[in-house]
Amino acid sequence: MDCERTKIEKWSEFQLPNVWKLRGTIICLLIFGIMIALKFIDNEPLWLKDVLRKGLLVGLLIVTLSKEKIEDEMVTTLRFKAYTLAFIMAVMYSLIQPVADYIVNNFIYEASKHNDFSYFQVLSFMLIIQIMFFEILKRNR
Amino acid sequence: MENTIKVERAILDLTQDDLAKKIGVSRQTINSIEANRYVPSTVLALKLSEVFGKPVNDFFKLSKDD
Repeated sequence: MDCERTKIEKWSEFQLPNVWKLRGTIICLLIFGIMIALKFIDNEPLWLKDVLRKGLLVGLLIVTLSKEKIEDEMVTTLRFKAYTLAFIMAVMYSLIQPVADYIVNNFIYEASKHNDFSYFQVLSFMLIIQIMFFEILKRNR
Repeated sequence: MENTIKVERAILDLTQDDLAKKIGVSRQTINSIEANRYVPSTVLALKLSEVFGKPVNDFFKLSKDD
């Protein structure tokens, strides 16, 4: 019978085939394009914005979970380094961003009630940072 | 960790790509190991040992920093 640690190790090894990297990128670009286009529409439906945000997060997650063409132990090590850096930076971002927002909105500009700091901001930041660091580490290996 | 993989590879007249294919990694991984930027796992070290026909200690040495 598998012990709890073995199960967790199996889950942590979950990855999608390499072909999903391109699919995830296409999903992200399409959704990003639609989001930009919606900015020019006056009555942007809120439900659509929410769906697109979730779709973008799913697309980014697919990209981070996709294997490389040659997935060896060094690539796995670099991927985990990128996850670690992204996690630390996302925590720092979520601590610093509200303070920066507060300062900008209350001292530099006029006080605003629209200081929204959403889960989307943190998660998209974290996933983008992971992808970015992973690519940088891969190129400099 | 220091290594003499480049020398061992030259003895067998293997390119980085040939060696990478033999042990199932990318060419960049072999390049990083040779440049001491990456320390391989025991599994990979033993695969290299099998290709070179020598014990791991013959081509991997601990450096003063280790």
